[in-house]
Amino acid sequence: MIDCDVHNGWDSARVLLPYLDRSFRDYLDRGELPGGRDSFPHGHRAWLHPEGYMRYDTLPPSGGAPATDYAYMCEQLLDRYDLDYAILLGEEGMEVSTLANPYYASALARAHNDWVLDTWAPLDDRLRISITVAPQDPEGAAAEIRRVGGHPSVSQVVVTSGSQRPYGDPFFHPMWEAASEMRLPIAAHLGGQGGVNANPTGTGPPTFYWETHAMLCETGMGHLASVLAHGVFERYPHTRLVLVECGVAWLPAVLWRLDADYTALRKETPWLKRLPSEYAHEFVRVTTQPLERPRNPDALWTALDDIGGRDMLMFASDYPHWDFDDPFTTRFPAEWRDAVLDGNARALYRLPAARPREEAAGAGA
Amino acid sequence: MRVLDSDTDGRVTACREDELGDGERLLLKVGRRRIGLFRVDGRFFALHGVCPHAGGALCEGPLTGTTRTADDFFGFEYEREGRVLRCAWHGWEFDVESGQSLADPGLRARSYPVRIDDGAVVIDLRPPRRTTT
Ligand code: FES
Repeated sequence: MIDCDVHNGWDSARVLLPYLDRSFRDYLDRGELPGGRDSFPHGHRAWLHPEGYMRYDTLPPSGGAPATDYAYMCEQLLDRYDLDYAILLGEEGMEVSTLANPYYASALARAHNDWVLDTWAPLDDRLRISITVAPQDPEGAAAEIRRVGGHPSVSQVVVTSGSQRPYGDPFFHPMWEAASEMRLPIAAHLGGQGGVNANPTGTGPPTFYWETHAMLCETGMGHLASVLAHGVFERYPHTRLVLVECGVAWLPAVLWRLDADYTALRKETPWLKRLPSEYAHEFVRVTTQPLERPRNPDALWTALDDIGGRDMLMFASDYPHWDFDDPFTTRFPAEWRDAVLDGNARALYRLPAARPREEAAGAGA
Repeated sequence: MRVLDSDTDGRVTACREDELGDGERLLLKVGRRRIGLFRVDGRFFALHGVCPHAGGALCEGPLTGTTRTADDFFGFEYEREGRVLRCAWHGWEFDVESGQSLADPGLRARSYPVRIDDGAVVIDLRPPRRTTT
């Protein structure tokens, strides 16, 4: 089983100091910080979770913040659910997208990547790393993807779903080009709703945390439509888009709409050779958490099946966050389980084939 | 986590009455069952430790209060201080006495009867007796 959304944290963003470019080290060391000495520089969301966004039981007994203690992460997640792989996405690092200064944002992303490759990647072969880039600096993001994208632990590039414009926009193409060259997917993970980024929904700012959280799927819809319309995968066929934590139930409805409108107005985007839904089926993957739970579960799977959802969905728990999905209790149709809990992610991230369970248990090192 | 056995009658003696202060809890494992015992205003309540939402650690979240709307609709009034248990996973709110979900009338965490027997706190794990007429 592969978990495609696991967060690894830190107790203080000052862990980045030794990794940060000398010119920017003073910014983090002595510069203004939004949340005090140990905080990470980013434009914070205006929607504050009234209980904090961590599961209450994830505080490590050793002290420190949730998901900072590898042993406790093993106990609560990796070993408990017998995961083959966990795709780490960091915690606040991807929020560099909210900063106005693209050079500082890219320097922080580089420091984050060197830190995570130095400290987390060597801990366990089951941990796979998502490298953070600053999308508001597309050339810097491209350079960073080429710099560390070949590290054997690196499985993908991650940016926030909050952005200044949708990711298919030609402004971002240097980032897609580099990802395609390095054979890496780009994941847009829920977040980055603050700073210089656009409002999370098109109507203007929502009010409450739960209202906003439920509607953040809209950012996923916007990026999906944009990368399909701009022909990102025609131009850069060796990358993929992964939508993380943006919901899945809307996917069929949006693809049906995109197909219909494209069919009428194909001439606006003559570079496309196939229907949007066909590109999506081949090039877009969507993580399941937090999985929508209709009263009749079949309502979800019937609609998803129509667009080939079994090939597109990948299980994610979002450990240690408050909206965690438990792989043992989250229901998937029996015929979908192998693909969604394992096979789709294994193919996307080119992870070694699963060993039969008995052999895995019997094998030594 | 205190590991205990139940007696043959399906009762378990969890602790002495004075072991828990108000607002405190004891997490128990009785056989394969997890239970949270809470003391609220001198009374004891026991809830099944596995959350009815998605199997999370129900009894490890904060015991707190909550808000209800004030008479003018848009106001907030704080109420039920120390009587609302928030699940440690997704934070769903349950009444610590009845196990009733605050948001969903159709959802309830299992609660066990508790009595004080000569200073000992005894939880009754037997399935609720069906009333036959
Ligand atoms: S498992 Fe308890 S609120 Fe979800």
